[in-house]
Amino acid sequence: MLNMKDVSKIYRTESVETHALREFSFDVDEGEFISVTGPSGSGKTTFLNIAGLLEEFSGGTYELDGCNVTNLNDRERSRLRNEKIGFIFQSFNLIPELDVFDNVDVPLRYRKFSSAERRKRIDRVIDLVGLGSRAHHLPSQLSGGQQQRVAIARALAGEPRFLLADEPTGNLDSQMAESVMELLEDINRNGTTIIMVTHEKNLAKRARRNIFMRDGCVSNNDSALHLAASSA
Amino acid sequence: MISYYAKLGLLSIRQNPVLSALMVAAIATGIGACMTIVNIDYVMSGNPIPHRSSLLYHVQLDSWDPYEAAEEPNEPPDQVTYLDGTALLKAGKARRQVLSYRTGRVIQPDGDGQLPFQVSSRSTSADFFSMFDVPFLYGSAWDKAADDSAAYVVVLGREVNEQLFGGQDPVGRNVVMNGDTYRVTGVLDNWQPTPKFYDVSNQSFGEVEEVYFPLSVSIAEELSSSGNTNCWKPVPETTWQAFLNSECVWMQLWVELHGETERSDYLAYLDAYVESQKAIGRFPRPLNNRLYNVMEWMQNQEVVESDVKVLLGLAVLFLVVCLLNTIGLLLAKIMRRAGDIGLRRALGASRNAVFAQYIVEAGLIGIVGGVAGIGMTMLGLQGIRILYGEFDFIDRLVHLDWIMMSTAIILAIVSALAAALYPTWRACGIHPASQLKSL
Amino acid sequence: MEIGPIWRAMSRNKTSYLLIAMQIAVTMAIMVNAFSIIQERSRMMARPSGVDEDNIFYLSSIGFLPEFDGRSASEEDLDALRRFPGVANAIMTNTVPLQGGGWSQGLRTEPGEEIESIGVAVYFVDEHGIDTFDVNLTQGRNFAPTEIMMFDPDANGARWPDKIIITQAMAEALFPDSPNDAIGRTVYIEDDLPITIIGVLQRMQAAWKEWSGVERAMLVPMKRKQNSFRYVIRAEPGYRDELMPQIEKMLAEKNTGRIIRGMTTMTETRERSYLEDSAMIKLLVFIVGVLTAITGLGIVGLASFSVARRSKQIGVRRALGATRPAILRYFMLENFLISSVGVVGGALLAVGLNVWMVHAFDLTPIAWYVIPTAMLILWLVGQLAVFGPARRATLVSPAVATRAV
Repeated sequence: MLNMKDVSKIYRTESVETHALREFSFDVDEGEFISVTGPSGSGKTTFLNIAGLLEEFSGGTYELDGCNVTNLNDRERSRLRNEKIGFIFQSFNLIPELDVFDNVDVPLRYRKFSSAERRKRIDRVIDLVGLGSRAHHLPSQLSGGQQQRVAIARALAGEPRFLLADEPTGNLDSQMAESVMELLEDINRNGTTIIMVTHEKNLAKRARRNIFMRDGCVSNNDSALHLAASSA
Repeated sequence: MISYYAKLGLLSIRQNPVLSALMVAAIATGIGACMTIVNIDYVMSGNPIPHRSSLLYHVQLDSWDPYEAAEEPNEPPDQVTYLDGTALLKAGKARRQVLSYRTGRVIQPDGDGQLPFQVSSRSTSADFFSMFDVPFLYGSAWDKAADDSAAYVVVLGREVNEQLFGGQDPVGRNVVMNGDTYRVTGVLDNWQPTPKFYDVSNQSFGEVEEVYFPLSVSIAEELSSSGNTNCWKPVPETTWQAFLNSECVWMQLWVELHGETERSDYLAYLDAYVESQKAIGRFPRPLNNRLYNVMEWMQNQEVVESDVKVLLGLAVLFLVVCLLNTIGLLLAKIMRRAGDIGLRRALGASRNAVFAQYIVEAGLIGIVGGVAGIGMTMLGLQGIRILYGEFDFIDRLVHLDWIMMSTAIILAIVSALAAALYPTWRACGIHPASQLKSL
Repeated sequence: MEIGPIWRAMSRNKTSYLLIAMQIAVTMAIMVNAFSIIQERSRMMARPSGVDEDNIFYLSSIGFLPEFDGRSASEEDLDALRRFPGVANAIMTNTVPLQGGGWSQGLRTEPGEEIESIGVAVYFVDEHGIDTFDVNLTQGRNFAPTEIMMFDPDANGARWPDKIIITQAMAEALFPDSPNDAIGRTVYIEDDLPITIIGVLQRMQAAWKEWSGVERAMLVPMKRKQNSFRYVIRAEPGYRDELMPQIEKMLAEKNTGRIIRGMTTMTETRERSYLEDSAMIKLLVFIVGVLTAITGLGIVGLASFSVARRSKQIGVRRALGATRPAILRYFMLENFLISSVGVVGGALLAVGLNVWMVHAFDLTPIAWYVIPTAMLILWLVGQLAVFGPARRATLVSPAVATRAV
């Protein structure tokens, strides 16, 4: 359902060319929970950006949910992001001036839902992440864990096929991190494909498959099995 | 510490050159627009004779039409009739009194090449010069005897003397005007009261007259006024004598009085005079005499153009807009650096230190804006000079004296600090911890 | 479409938005009132004087020698002037429209000083007056040469002739019920001297432009004996400028007992007369222009700041599916909302300021359409100003969302 073939990404400045991804090939099946690990600078974030259509790539092909996104224009990419992908960021990225309800509403506004439909979806996902009573709190009035739950609710509200999580627990203490992980696992069990970038091995282990990146390449695609086996 | 803040301020200004320039430009334009109009208003509403203005009183008698006030709602006419003017002049109940009016004469130079030329003139009683503190370059005013005997004597303005006698002392020499020979008794030094308070019926800011000669002479010569003549009652005959005896107002009467007692005594005298005239059938209106001192009279005559007042109001609002603009930009700038401020606070900067840092930065912008504002004011005044260039008095209105100069500087600094205060206060309110977490 | 959340977001960060709104409001108050004044002045300046302004010029002759004989000099001068090639016609009179100085008199429909009189500007003319001023006689007839009264103050004879020509505006003021029936009616000058109206002019202004009765004037068939007077000369079209020095020279040489001064065209007179008004218009246009520019630049500055400060947020929105046009729309809409608050406040402020100015300076109240026009202009200025920064906002990459701060 997500297929990358020989995708490469080169950042150019005047004097330097950096190969962030080198002929990166990668397939994800529906319903997977994949963790991506690797040292910093290995291209994890670039991979995530390209997978999430946040960035264009320099070469290769990328198919998302059966649709070749290689040559899409900005508007179409925006629509795909909006409809098929949910994002969870390390620093939550809630909009500080908007309350919980309006934050979750942001992606729905870019879709032509009726206001009743939006309200229904928002109420559902806020309840899902357990923040039903805080719908009109501002992000600054919430703890980090709660903020990340709002971000997850926002990602889920559009009922995406994919969830892309970038160090979702990076800014949280272990207890909050645990509850966020449990939430993600729940979501995955309900059928949403999740790709999670992390540098924490014990979180990565909880994914069903792990890829390890180094220098813009997948260095060990089935270490997940190995990790899974060793953890068992 | 101030120099450290000044350095930080300069650094921050350099980091945002366009924005800082915009702020400086906004303050400068605001100050410039405001001060340009304030200056014109200041000159127009200035005191033309500061050390004597409270001693000099303009006399108004209500000799007007029983059915209609000279000016609504119930103002007496602003000039006096020949009958009343000469009666009060002769009575001499005040310390000094001057009756005068504006005329025009043609001077015939006796040199060959020079053509006759017209000058503005004032026909007046002798006290004019001492009462209005008129400076003399040569000679002096004529004396009372000249008034009484209608002597053909003349006081020349400086420029006329320049033209006729090359600026030499002409006292005792003769000048021919309209065929009559006048003896020069004196020459005025530079003199230009602004406004021209003693006769605002023509142009309040016009030039003073170019030559002066006795009132008694101009009456004998049957010279009518080149200013306003207003009549409410038909003059029964067309002769000069009939005009002199008429109810037409055309002369300005000023008296010098020291203190409130003298003023009320003189007012009582005026009332008594009017009552005596009522007895012989004049003054059909109720008693309504006025004695205004110079500044009261300027107010009453509204010598400051209403256009200037309208512009003054708009210019103040203009400055408000410019300040709002600067406040907004400074606030935005400070809020953008909230992280920086939070960090400084976390590193131990006190609230006062943050305040000092930003007030110094804002002050810098204010001072630069203020200095530029003075430049803008000068530019604005030049613009006014060009726009109103046809008016010969405009040069006096666009002159920026040291009082206005310092007002401009103070206004600039106050404006800049006022604009800086709110954003700086907001900066102080930034919590040390709030900004350290991710944005 | 997304006014709700934008409004709620703005209301949590009120101050800076309020500052712009206030700036817009004050700008609008100034704009509306300045425009109202400009309108009033332009209307005043556009009033025709009724005379042939393009071709008329005038000058003063000031006799200064005791032996100068004004009467015979003026007869000779007028004769010479009317013969002068290029001169259409010439008269001796006291003033011209817009000149600033003149003679006024009161007329009554009934004799008696207790009857209210109506002020009217006086032009002393002979039978060439109508032709020289080139005013339009709509009813009645011109003066005949024999009807011109020779007036000598020393002779102490009659003070007024028995016939006059008045303007339509004067006819309306005298006879509000039957203004078109003025011919042949008698009015009274100097309380009780009867005078008959023999003609009505379409329009001729008085010499005082600010007088409320500026269109009330009358032609009096009289030649006054005096030593200083004014000649009004109408040139054939196109000859005015070359005639002026020739005529000055001719008159100066004809008689040395007088000086010729103040040679002025009607065009100059109009310019000088309305100098303050046209200067005021220019000043106000300048003020409003600069002010609008400052407000516009302020919006640009604040919007740039706002975009820079919110670049992360913009990236997040892009990541969550906002297209570039949606980001553009967001900022444009935000500005529209601020401007709306500003112009609504501005409308109130403008009316308040106008009420005060009408009260304090006798200005005319604002015309109804000025306020919506100013609103529209400021909305437009705001949208134009915010467009640049908003466009820059659309260039923020969605990848900003995943970047660590």
